Amino acid sequence: MSEIKLLSSDQATITVEKSVAERSILIKNMLEDVGEVTEAIPIPNVNENVLKKVIEWCEHHKGDPPAQADDDSDSRKKSSDIDEWDQKFMQVDQEMLFEIILAANYLDIKPLLDVGCKTVANMIKGKSPEEIRKTFNIQNDFTPEEEEQIRRENEWAEDR
Amino acid sequence: MTPTQPPKAARYSMPAAKMELMNPIRIAPLKGTLRKPGLPLEIISTILEYLPIQDLCRFARVSKQLQEMVYDDSRWVHKLKLMGVWNETEARRRFEDAMRRRRAMQAAKAAEEKKALQNGVKTLNAGMAGGPSAPGVSRSSTLFDAGEEENRAQVQREASMRRAELDAKRRTVAGTITDGIDLMHLAPLTPVDIPRPSMADPDSLLKVLPSVKSIRGFAKHEFGRIYAALGPLYFDLAKAKTHTDPVVFRIYRDPEQQAQILAQLKVFAQCDTAHGWMDRLERLNLMIGIFENAALREFEGGYETGDIDGRMKRYAGVLILLNGGQACVQLFVQKHPVMFERGELGNPMDSFELEHFLPLGKPMPGSFSLEPSSLFFTRLSALLNEQADVIDRVFPATVNVMIPFLERVAEDVISEFVTPILDEAHDRDIEQYLKAVAGIYHQLLDFAKTIKKIKGSGVRFPEEMMKIMGRVFEAHVDLYLQDELDFFRKKCETEVDSWEKKILEEDAATESFFMSNINREADKRDFLSTFKKVILMPVSVIPSPFAAKPAAAAAETKSTESSPYANSNTLSVQEIPDTSRPGTPMTPGQATPGPPPTTELAAKAAIMNSRLEGIRSLFSLEVALNLVHSAKSSLERAALFTGAGGQTGEEAREQCEQIFIALLQVLGPRHVKAGFDKAVEHLSKYNPREITEHTQSGVAPLVTFLELVNVGDLIQQMIDVFYEQELVAAKLTDPKDFLNPAAKEKKRFEQMLDERVAAGLNMGIDVLIDEVDHLFAITQQTTDFNPGAIGDTGLRDFDIGPTKTAIQVIEVVSSHTKLLTGSTDKNVLDVFNQEVGIRLFASLCKHIKRQRISVDGAIKLISDLNHYHAYITTLKIKPLVPYFNALRELSQIYLIDPSHAKQMATVIADPNRFGGIFRVEEVYEYATRREDWYRVKKEVERAMYGIGCCIC
Repeated sequence: MSEIKLLSSDQATITVEKSVAERSILIKNMLEDVGEVTEAIPIPNVNENVLKKVIEWCEHHKGDPPAQADDDSDSRKKSSDIDEWDQKFMQVDQEMLFEIILAANYLDIKPLLDVGCKTVANMIKGKSPEEIRKTFNIQNDFTPEEEEQIRRENEWAEDR
Repeated sequence: MTPTQPPKAARYSMPAAKMELMNPIRIAPLKGTLRKPGLPLEIISTILEYLPIQDLCRFARVSKQLQEMVYDDSRWVHKLKLMGVWNETEARRRFEDAMRRRRAMQAAKAAEEKKALQNGVKTLNAGMAGGPSAPGVSRSSTLFDAGEEENRAQVQREASMRRAELDAKRRTVAGTITDGIDLMHLAPLTPVDIPRPSMADPDSLLKVLPSVKSIRGFAKHEFGRIYAALGPLYFDLAKAKTHTDPVVFRIYRDPEQQAQILAQLKVFAQCDTAHGWMDRLERLNLMIGIFENAALREFEGGYETGDIDGRMKRYAGVLILLNGGQACVQLFVQKHPVMFERGELGNPMDSFELEHFLPLGKPMPGSFSLEPSSLFFTRLSALLNEQADVIDRVFPATVNVMIPFLERVAEDVISEFVTPILDEAHDRDIEQYLKAVAGIYHQLLDFAKTIKKIKGSGVRFPEEMMKIMGRVFEAHVDLYLQDELDFFRKKCETEVDSWEKKILEEDAATESFFMSNINREADKRDFLSTFKKVILMPVSVIPSPFAAKPAAAAAETKSTESSPYANSNTLSVQEIPDTSRPGTPMTPGQATPGPPPTTELAAKAAIMNSRLEGIRSLFSLEVALNLVHSAKSSLERAALFTGAGGQTGEEAREQCEQIFIALLQVLGPRHVKAGFDKAVEHLSKYNPREITEHTQSGVAPLVTFLELVNVGDLIQQMIDVFYEQELVAAKLTDPKDFLNPAAKEKKRFEQMLDERVAAGLNMGIDVLIDEVDHLFAITQQTTDFNPGAIGDTGLRDFDIGPTKTAIQVIEVVSSHTKLLTGSTDKNVLDVFNQEVGIRLFASLCKHIKRQRISVDGAIKLISDLNHYHAYITTLKIKPLVPYFNALRELSQIYLIDPSHAKQMATVIADPNRFGGIFRVEEVYEYATRREDWYRVKKEVERAMYGIGCCIC
């Protein structure tokens, strides 16, 4: 069981089992291309805290079947609900949650990305547009009339 | 016109400004709008996937960019696709239609377009006027569906125009009502206000899914319609605790409506991908299950009370609406009394028991009858047709109940009936088993034909039916086909074995039969008629299918038999009844007590040479016939299964070929080849000097052999007819496929035959020439060509004509060559004749060299040689003629008077005279056979060498 080293953006070196690290398709492909490496692999976009968190997730999920090469429509339909461990794992502040999602996206860990997105989706559920804006830090570029118009357009989707 | 003017102007001015405003925002990277900690666009898009519709739509209000993302058509198309209501071809067709119209419109005048636009606005205004006051599903659908065709075309045209020109821009601005004139047309159609499902109008909800249209750019609108209609019901159902809670069951009281709406909800659930969809789906399925069970119970109740047109029909309809009605079809099939009361239809063992009651007591293995099973099928058929009526009444035509029902019947009733019979038959006797399989299978097919077609059974009903019936026999077919082949092979071998044994016995009794020159034809004809009978003979096992066949087969035989025989003259002549011939044609069974006078000699020879066997002991036509006959019955049984189609049919077909191959193998190597080998052996042992009697014109073993060739040829033709008729005509084999094992085996058989014939002929030529030499040796008198040899010069024999020897030799040779005519390949025959001719020539040369010939005798010699020549010309073989011409020329040298030695020398030295057949030395050698050679020798030699003619 070989181990490899990862170098976070804040220059921290983390040693991790190769099989765990290969949950990341990015690292997996890299290792396949490069072969054996002794020096730490730099992960420039991810800081130590986040990287540790991601590795924690990977370690817990190392036994999972490899992400099947599913096409778009499949993943949309088949996505199951978040399991209990993942729910707990995702109980972090919003900044961290976003960092994890970005890291998962960068490292190409699809299941983690999915869990993150689902968590965010749950978070947003039932929120007003203003609250959503706050959550995502998005500026409102609508006039009140425009917003009202869109509201009316989509009234059919609202609960009675 | 006037009221529409001001807004139009306003609309025209708006879009350009709007576009300018929006462009920079659209192009700007997302990070510009999202400050840290933000998420990139594609991740937000992924997040949107997991949002419930409600939240998704709220997202649209967050910012323009998000609105664009939410409103993206493909997102909604995908959702529609999940529900299976998006029709891509329809969308494409609409799009292309619109494009075409657009081009047409562009070509048209602007005024026209303006008019159309105004028209559209008018309609729009009318819609607007009525719209807000009473928003309802029916209202909006009227607007959309029942709008003027022109208006609709217009709308589509706009949609496509927008698509082609504005593409992404459209989405950005789609929601803003202040957009240009183009958008105004869309405005009433884009869901400005998609109405809530109104409880007062639940009927329209029932049709919401089928009414969905696949229009690009309108996916969200269409989805909105569905969601507005079904969403509340769906979420309500998902929340419900008991089956009485859901609104669905309160709105709809009618079970048909309930079924319809539940079926729609089931489809709708497919697009629910948000968190918790599994629970919701489970709950929905639970509710549907409860409902289905309730409906099934009603259906079952109806079934039990026999309320066919009432409850059964109604709830069948309900269940079909709900989920295609498989459950009730299954229930119907399973509960059917025919499954439980199969005992009443007939006991499989009846087929055997009948015979047990025979007073003879002994349970015969042949005691199998098809009667009970036929009875069984008749009863079953009546019962099924009765049920077909019931099914027709209960189920609508869209549901195919008959096929599953028949499948079940086939499996539970027919199989249960057939299997014990076949097992029992198999245990008792293989032949019975074979007959039982074929017989019952045929009954089954007949039975299948009696089943009525009902309206729900579809066009492919007969094929389906056959498949089902084929399945009943699937398990038996393999075993059966194997048994059939084994049985046939065994039967053939016993047949041949028993025949061989019989022949051995007969051998001891030296009872043999020789086929004479004449009765060969008789026998051949006799054989042909017998064979015809074989082909015509119906197979007794299967009474009904072939009852009508003999007549057809007779016609077929006649047509087919003429073709193989037409190529040989002699044979086709035989076809005509030969009334002019003396004596009645003999059957092979008869001995030869009174052969016709013409064949007396040959017949005598046959009787005298009892040492030699007639062809009867070599191989027997009767055996061949028996084999062919049993092959036919096996084939016909097996061929029944080729109709089953699929793998079974293919296997059956292969097995039929196998049977044919087995027939050839037994008939070929085992029977015919052995006979030929024996005949050739006899031939090779033949030594003319051991036989004292040479008055007859036949070399017995050779005649035997040639007869054998005839019979072999007949057998081959018989096989050919059999192949054509039984295999090719019945489509059991493909004659064009040269790799086909049956065709290959047939070729091999023919080859084997040809080879044997060739080998035998080779031997035969030797024997024939031996005989000729023998004849020369013993019959040619020295006085024949040298009348003065014995000193009896006074008695000059001026009888011009060939000598007795020559006549006999020709008789022997011609009688044998004639035998072959028409019975073997023309090429083989030619080669044979040519060989005979050349060998005869060689023998003649040798013979002449042994003679001493006087000038007087030369006339005899010449007439002899003329006789040979005449015979050779009848053979019509060109290369032979020069040889005999040369011989004739050669004989001239004996005729030259001794005093003309010079001329003699010229003749001898002229190589052209003999066509290159004889060299000068050879001619010289012949000249030495002159009786007066020593007297003329000097003269001739002097003339030849002295004059210096061309001897070098």
